[in-house]
Amino acid sequence: MTELSADTEMKQPSQPWTTQVAVSLLGRTSARIGLSWIGLLVIIATFSPFLASSHPLYLVVDGQASSPLLLHMTALDWVWLTGLPMILAIALLPLPLWKKFLSVLVGLGLTAMIAYTVVSPPALVIYEQYRELEATGKVETMIRAPIPYSAKDYLRDYADTGIESPLLTSEQRTHWMGTDENGADVASRMIHASRIALGIGFIATGIALVIGTIIGGLMGYFSGIVDIIGMRLVEIFEAIPTLFLLLSFVAFFGRSIYMMMVIIGITAWSGYARYVRAEFLKLRQQDFVQAAVACGLPLRSILFRHMLPNGLAPLLVATSFGVASAILAEATLSFLGLGLIDDPSWGQLLNQAVQSSTFNWWLAVFPGGAIFLTVFSYNLLGESLRDAVDPHTNRSKRA
Amino acid sequence: MKLLEVESLVTELGEADNWLRAVNGINLTVNAGETYCLVGESGSGKSVTALSIMGLLPADRFRHPDGRAWLHEPGGEALELLSANDEQLRSVRGRRIGMIFQEPMTSLNPVLTIGEQLDEVLRIHRPALNAEARRERILTALGEVLISDPANRILEYPHRLSGGQRQRVMIAMALICEPALLIADEPTTALDVTVQAEILKLMRELQARYGMGMLFITHDFGVVAQIADTVGVMRHGELVESGKTFDVLSNPQHAYTRSLIAALPERLPRSPRPPASTQTLLAVDNLSVYFPIRQGLMRRVVDQFHAVDEVSLQVNAGEVVALVGESGCGKTTLGRALLRLQTTTTGSIHLEGQDITHLSRAEMRPLRRRMQVVFQDPGSSLNPRLPIHTSLIEPMRVHGIGEDDNARTRRAVRFLERVEMPADSLWRYPHEFSGGQRQRLAIARALVLEPRFILCDEITSALDVSVQAGILRLLRELVDEDGIGMLFITHNMGVVDYLADWMAVMHKARLVETGRTAAVMADPQNLHTKTLLDAVPRLNESFLQTRSGRAPTEPETSCQ
Repeated sequence: MTELSADTEMKQPSQPWTTQVAVSLLGRTSARIGLSWIGLLVIIATFSPFLASSHPLYLVVDGQASSPLLLHMTALDWVWLTGLPMILAIALLPLPLWKKFLSVLVGLGLTAMIAYTVVSPPALVIYEQYRELEATGKVETMIRAPIPYSAKDYLRDYADTGIESPLLTSEQRTHWMGTDENGADVASRMIHASRIALGIGFIATGIALVIGTIIGGLMGYFSGIVDIIGMRLVEIFEAIPTLFLLLSFVAFFGRSIYMMMVIIGITAWSGYARYVRAEFLKLRQQDFVQAAVACGLPLRSILFRHMLPNGLAPLLVATSFGVASAILAEATLSFLGLGLIDDPSWGQLLNQAVQSSTFNWWLAVFPGGAIFLTVFSYNLLGESLRDAVDPHTNRSKRA
Repeated sequence: MKLLEVESLVTELGEADNWLRAVNGINLTVNAGETYCLVGESGSGKSVTALSIMGLLPADRFRHPDGRAWLHEPGGEALELLSANDEQLRSVRGRRIGMIFQEPMTSLNPVLTIGEQLDEVLRIHRPALNAEARRERILTALGEVLISDPANRILEYPHRLSGGQRQRVMIAMALICEPALLIADEPTTALDVTVQAEILKLMRELQARYGMGMLFITHDFGVVAQIADTVGVMRHGELVESGKTFDVLSNPQHAYTRSLIAALPERLPRSPRPPASTQTLLAVDNLSVYFPIRQGLMRRVVDQFHAVDEVSLQVNAGEVVALVGESGCGKTTLGRALLRLQTTTTGSIHLEGQDITHLSRAEMRPLRRRMQVVFQDPGSSLNPRLPIHTSLIEPMRVHGIGEDDNARTRRAVRFLERVEMPADSLWRYPHEFSGGQRQRLAIARALVLEPRFILCDEITSALDVSVQAGILRLLRELVDEDGIGMLFITHNMGVVDYLADWMAVMHKARLVETGRTAAVMADPQNLHTKTLLDAVPRLNESFLQTRSGRAPTEPETSCQ
């Protein structure tokens, strides 16, 4: 048997570590569940203007065809729409990981620059004009989105709109998930808010993770003076009150949820840095790290190939909780009035569930369920990733 | 008088429908005042036997399909331990059976003082005693295990004691209720040889005084020779041979016992060595490594801890130099300093004539391939997250050996064959290998760079004798055939005897004696070297002569 396997295995190309982890990750049911929910969210977030919008996709009035939906798409919508295929394409290119990462960043930056200079949707948006047109009978053909209400369409043309249960909708309009206190469609608001939920998870936690891992890794590996300086930096960042920092930024630069994500990320890395530092301090004395040094391997390989994968487990668990708390932090910010006023977010909807004297179950169940599923998916993903990088748990697999 | 009688003991470990037979039909009898030694390699079921008798196996994870273990009481009645309930077992543990574990560093509770821990045992098993009587009893017990100044010692926490002292406290704790039977699971394995010699002597004396029966578990035939009256050799959960110590050791009947004894490093067959080269590979001159002791807010250096103090050493091509010394004497620090893994304070290191003492990290990198290292712990010597392939290929890639990965893979396979490992090891992870195999892989990783000098830091001390024998043979071949220079750090004199051309003895950061191995072994000049050599428990002709009839001889005569 050894003869045979030695012969066949010789030809087997060595798979890079990332591929091994990815293969092992996709083999796990919990990872698949987590990934499919997050994947669904990504698709919903990307195509949200086509899924829920008051603007018809195709409209023929007086023999003139137009697409109000495309006309009203914002620069951000275009960034999402071009960004997703671009990221998928770059991911398939045979490039080293860091080059992929870099090209994604550059690509997104370029797209954003182009989109924000070229695209200029009309500043004044009248959502009810299409319904009025329809009522007057001028419309010849109209193709609407599956949910024909925009997130900020407060249905002003219907007289007494307000908070409505999905079961009590009138004949002219159906709201699958009811309406919120302003009369906006909850389903539509939730679809548009999925971008924020995803963005919070990826951007805030991603930034915190990258900064924390690098600084923590250097602190733990070099210890001594680097460690002392690094720990002071950690303490400085821990002393910054995030809420007040956000307040002052809002005062100077206006409200932007993406700016908030970046600020949350820049201030939240200290926890990850501590985790990585503790793991690295433990690992640097391990024999295989010493052996790697003795082999003359470059620092990058020692830190990121030999040490980081072995110190990943606590980091991944912390990350999955970090994503969850970032999503909840956004809900808190909205509640405090620091977050978005007009733009939709799940936390904001959830807050309305108990604001009036009655308990509005649809405002608790749908956004709450979405938050729960997202947090749960990130946790599942974090745990499977921890198992996937640990070879002890997949001993039946052979690379 | 029979004290413990084990009849066809079978222990299976596992759960649900997945059971592994760890102990298979063991019969043994421990008499009062005698020592029964269970000897065997790791995984042979020695410890499981002891834990089965004590009823200390994890609940619901074991079963006994067969077997009896009778603990005879002085009155004539006997308690069957395997079927006894928790209450019965609790009353027997500590009072009738004492137990000592291997690792003295973790078997004492670090947050309680020595006195409190001993006191607790007495409070439970001797409720009739009042506080004053208990204190008296504790002081006597500590006095008996030769701990100086027991009245002050009982107020101290375990971290203040050395490994040997902690093991003495453990013995005192096991003996404080004067148990009839003492079960000792490798009680001296984690200790230095000199400390081991003292502990073994102490245990023999205490046994003679109290007439205890002892069930002593060890893997070291030297220890067996010193302490056992009866010996049982275990393999794969079965007792392959048992009998009087002298008979078994001098005339082993079973092939396995014979192979174990033959695998002792001092008994390994030696091949003639090629003429030693005079080419100096590594020269160390007056090397010192001091660690600053810092105190206060500003972390001012208040003192220097001398880890290595003015050591001069030389390793020639095709020679093995053994560095010997007790734990904490600085031999590992010296090794790390040689490889520039540790900054040095003064002195110089020359590798093939080139001064490498003050080279920078970057300047050091190309030189790394000329000096390699293999570490002690097979559990951590290879990166657990990487397949062997990556661990072997990456250093070659960094040093530009081989034109592409296919060439490197072929090269890696060649070195795997050199260390007698199958080629398909490449695609497996370290945890799929045994300790000995992992050490072979670690050697292969060192070899792929074709080093001129290899540092081996206690690489066989965690391995079984038969595995150790294989590795030692391999190392000797590498040195003889490839002309590699090797510094071998060890505390095992048998290994030194087999492997080393030169030996250097280290004591408290200084080299106290250097010389040809045979010369130093035969006629040690330094007092410390003498103590170290005397303390080594050996299984040799002189022992077999002195202990031919079972006479309780003095330790000085029984070991060389």
